[in-house]
Amino acid sequence: MSTTTAALEPVFTFLASTYGTLETNFYKIPGSHVVARYVKSSHQNDPGRTVLEIMLFIFAVRTLLQSRTRADRSGKHFIKFDEKEIDELVDEWTPEPLGAELTSKEKAHLDAVPVIAGPTGPKPRLTTGKTVLNLASYNFTGLAGNETINQKAVEVLRRYGLGSCGPPGFYGTQDVHIQLEKDIADFLGTEASILYSQAFSTISSVIPAFSKRGDIIVADRGVNFAIQKGLQISRSTIRWYDHNDLHSLEQVLESVEKERRKKGLPLTRRFIVTEGIFDCDGLISDLPKLVELKNKYKYRLILDESISFGTIGRTGRGLTELYNVPATQVDMLVGSVANGLAAGGGFCAGSSIVVNHQRINGTSFVFSAAMPAMLAVAASEGINILRNTPSILTSLQENIRAIHSVLDKVDCITIPSHPASATIHLWVRLPSPTHLSPTAPVSSGKPSNPLSVIPRDPMQFDYDLEEKLLQDIVEEALAQGVMITRAKTLRGQELTEVRPSIRIAVTSALSKKDCEKAANVVKAAFIKVVGRRR
Amino acid sequence: MSTAASYLSAVSQADARARKLSDTDSTTSTPALSLSSSVTSSSTETVLDDAPFENLDGLSYPKVPPTSEQVFKTVHSEFGHCANESFRYTARYQPGGQFARPEQEPPHYVLLSTYLSYLLLICVGHLRDFIGKRMRPSSYKHLMKQDGYMALNSDFDSFYTRRLMLRIDDCFFQPVTGVPGRTIVLLDRSSPDYNITYYPTGTRTRALNISSYNYLGFAQATGGCADAVEESVRRYGVAACGTRLEGGSLDLHLQAEALVARFIGTEDALISSMGFATNSTIIPALVSKGSLVISDELNHASIRFGVRLSGANVRMFKHNNMESLEQLLREVISQGQPKTHRPWKKILVIVEGLYSMEGNLCNLPAVLELKKKYKFYLFVDEAHSIGALGPHGRGVCDYFGINPRSVDILMGTFTKSFGAAGGYIAGNKNIIDRLRTSGHTGAYAEAMTPPVLTQVIASTASIMGISIQDKNSSLQSQAVAYPGPVPSSALPPWMPLAPTMIDGTDGAMRLRRLAFNARYLNRALRLLGFLTYGNDDSPVVPLLLFNPGKMAVFARLMRTRATPIVVVIVAYPATPLVTSRVRFCLSASHTKEDIDTVLTACDEIGDLLDLKQGTCGRWPLEEIMARAVEIVQMKEMP
Repeated sequence: MSTTTAALEPVFTFLASTYGTLETNFYKIPGSHVVARYVKSSHQNDPGRTVLEIMLFIFAVRTLLQSRTRADRSGKHFIKFDEKEIDELVDEWTPEPLGAELTSKEKAHLDAVPVIAGPTGPKPRLTTGKTVLNLASYNFTGLAGNETINQKAVEVLRRYGLGSCGPPGFYGTQDVHIQLEKDIADFLGTEASILYSQAFSTISSVIPAFSKRGDIIVADRGVNFAIQKGLQISRSTIRWYDHNDLHSLEQVLESVEKERRKKGLPLTRRFIVTEGIFDCDGLISDLPKLVELKNKYKYRLILDESISFGTIGRTGRGLTELYNVPATQVDMLVGSVANGLAAGGGFCAGSSIVVNHQRINGTSFVFSAAMPAMLAVAASEGINILRNTPSILTSLQENIRAIHSVLDKVDCITIPSHPASATIHLWVRLPSPTHLSPTAPVSSGKPSNPLSVIPRDPMQFDYDLEEKLLQDIVEEALAQGVMITRAKTLRGQELTEVRPSIRIAVTSALSKKDCEKAANVVKAAFIKVVGRRR
Repeated sequence: MSTAASYLSAVSQADARARKLSDTDSTTSTPALSLSSSVTSSSTETVLDDAPFENLDGLSYPKVPPTSEQVFKTVHSEFGHCANESFRYTARYQPGGQFARPEQEPPHYVLLSTYLSYLLLICVGHLRDFIGKRMRPSSYKHLMKQDGYMALNSDFDSFYTRRLMLRIDDCFFQPVTGVPGRTIVLLDRSSPDYNITYYPTGTRTRALNISSYNYLGFAQATGGCADAVEESVRRYGVAACGTRLEGGSLDLHLQAEALVARFIGTEDALISSMGFATNSTIIPALVSKGSLVISDELNHASIRFGVRLSGANVRMFKHNNMESLEQLLREVISQGQPKTHRPWKKILVIVEGLYSMEGNLCNLPAVLELKKKYKFYLFVDEAHSIGALGPHGRGVCDYFGINPRSVDILMGTFTKSFGAAGGYIAGNKNIIDRLRTSGHTGAYAEAMTPPVLTQVIASTASIMGISIQDKNSSLQSQAVAYPGPVPSSALPPWMPLAPTMIDGTDGAMRLRRLAFNARYLNRALRLLGFLTYGNDDSPVVPLLLFNPGKMAVFARLMRTRATPIVVVIVAYPATPLVTSRVRFCLSASHTKEDIDTVLTACDEIGDLLDLKQGTCGRWPLEEIMARAVEIVQMKEMP
């Protein structure tokens, strides 16, 4: 026994001396005393904690050393093959075709799209040689083809050329862009605004610029496709409220707040996302109530005015002018220069903090070329015209009323749109009760689940039948000299099934008489096509 | 008649002024240049507007006046005058030639000092935040939660922008005016509070523009394309009003799409009104859940955006590394979808033709080799390469001599080489029809506007050349082989056609000048000892700076020279943290003299900032400028 101890003696002394040198060296490192004291005291207080901390340390090291690519080779789902097997698998694999061929219906719809030969306008000529009344193009205030605008455009062309040849960050910001941003901000009454070069890509970039993972977005169930894409990119937590139902919104806001308090979650950024005039059915949001709710629950409001900007309010400033709400109450006001001012691009107006943040973080702003100078000047001129001629908006509203007066009381048409909306959606109403006829949702009294985009009582309708009838109506109206269009949606890609509709885009460039005439043609087409079914 | 008379008198005045000035100035020009440059101007306005006249920088007028037989139709400040036919080149892939040079490593002290610089910046930034939040809380209000609202952007997320980027913010978002052509007019600005706000000083500076994406020099306010666009504005107005499927389709759209398909050499093409959106709205129609996208790690943000929207799985391979791609392909095909191991519905490999931050070309021949074996679909983003590469300007396929139909989807933009805006997707008819129906663009996004369409048509026709035929022989026109000229019947009948567009000399001249400029700058910078990335024929030339501090200094020194030059500096997050760089974008509108100006500036600033870290053989600047043609014609770099 003692011999073994004697034999081990040098080992022990060596270990002790090594430990001694290690210790002295350790204490030579500046700050090591603090670490040692911390470890000692934590161990004294709670020995379990030391074990836990060691485990945590090992875990952290392991995580750091792990490969960061997904589905790595060591994963438990990884199957090891040898080279020959892989070659066989490669040979065996046959991919689906890249693009599925169009069905005969899709092909027919694509071929039926009318093409305008020459300039667009209230009465364009089509490639078929026919001159038609145009209730399809977004030319609400009749700015397309305006002589003053064309003149300015040519002047700009001779000073700037056409393209901007660069993103805004790299010498693509021209003085005309700065001017248009200023014009839009002044027109709306916000501090600043920022231009994007395509309207569709504006809001899908604005939303993820602000709302990140973990932030909360409360959105309308009927928001347009661009917003849906923005929500998807943002990866935020989304809660849905019933379409244009602010009572439902309040319930959702209340439930989110309750959930936060119950779980003791930290405060995150919170947004309400909705549209001014809805792209899917032409309803108008109740902006004063929205602002009241967002202030009460301390949310920020992202309002898409792609349809309402340039079509509503005394001079076309949109919803804020209609309801007399200061535009500063809307945190991010997104609009379309292409629709509202008949040029191209989109904008987001708001405080200068909101706008400047997007100059670095708005993906489609940063990574895209600035819009052509000509379009920016055309839009500035458009704002000028709207400002100085309120009569444009008055005649637009008169035309809207004229069309409503013809179509409102037709048996086979349901108009969901607000009477002041410049886009009028027409749904087919099938009179016979034996058919699966669309019914307004019967409220069961219970609120819908805010986690799901599908409402509790979704509207019932026969998509294919209605789509077919509407397409027949569009073609019938075209044969009678009125160009209208179905509201095209990507079925299956939209989050909810959007009810097929014909969307009439009213323009102030047509006379009231022409509008009535066109509306009567549409009415006759509806009656003829729906009647033929019976 | 009166306009012609005033034009002639203005031209002679300009000539006289240029001649007078050149006497005092000729000392700075090299002998080779005296053959090449001249002056005229086709626009009376441009000549008369530029008072008070001075030509110290040679930007508005050439330093050397023209000989009597030289006539130039372009404005020198937009599209430089260059008559010397030896400053031309035709770039194409030499099989077996050097495809990509091995990337050179900088000395270790450069890397170390770069890391230290960032460390210092970050420490100082945090220190300023720490003190600032206590001393001046009002300036941090928007970063703190207040009144029940969470801060709109957290101080952590915005740290990089506030504390690093803001310091050199004067090099970004510079407001400009006029044509972004060979030169560009800067609207000078000044900042009283270290770049937080700016005010315009009211002065303007004309600078040599080596930053805009204007590869073929079609950014012009005069000339054939501008005339065509003017005519189209008078006929069509400015807007198309609506989406393609909902009443926004014009005959111009169909003509432009047919022409683009013919240009690219595919069955069909579709056009979208925004370049970014072409990727972000079309990729989701190609792939979806159950499909796999294999993407080069340096692909553009728009591609990532589109892929994220599509819901498909994504894997990345190392930039341009074919072994990495093949290994990945073998893995994913054999493993199938994650967890379920079901076979993938389809695999789409997305690469770019020319990488805009690297100047690298994708190794298309190798990718197509792999495509044969692994049956994936190939999507090539030619945003920067279309028009800018290949003997006929048809992009990477043309450069490598590959049939464009062997690539499934060819995507590109009109912003860069065509001086327009928007983008296109070209491919088989049934795929394009599918994208017209299922892509987001057709149903939701505004259609491209008539002036932009006309610019696309005119510039494309100019590159292709036009064959004039009678209407009866329209059947023959179908038989014109790719990449032949476009039959005049495919163009709008009202479009004015300049003679140089018809015989194709305009397009050929642009392509050959760009190829010369690109090769010259690429090789000359390397011979001067700079570290650059990319292929010799790439019109994008990144020059590595490394240290963050050098970025701003480089840009400011270039901008404040006697001949101001504007450059683009790029840093993290667009590039890896250490490899900050300055990026030159060449154009056909640059003259050899302009490249010499850039080289001289780089040479001086490079010495000052210790940028010449290359291991390549060094040549003195004078020798490089004198032997430019030789340098370009060399098969391999010395």
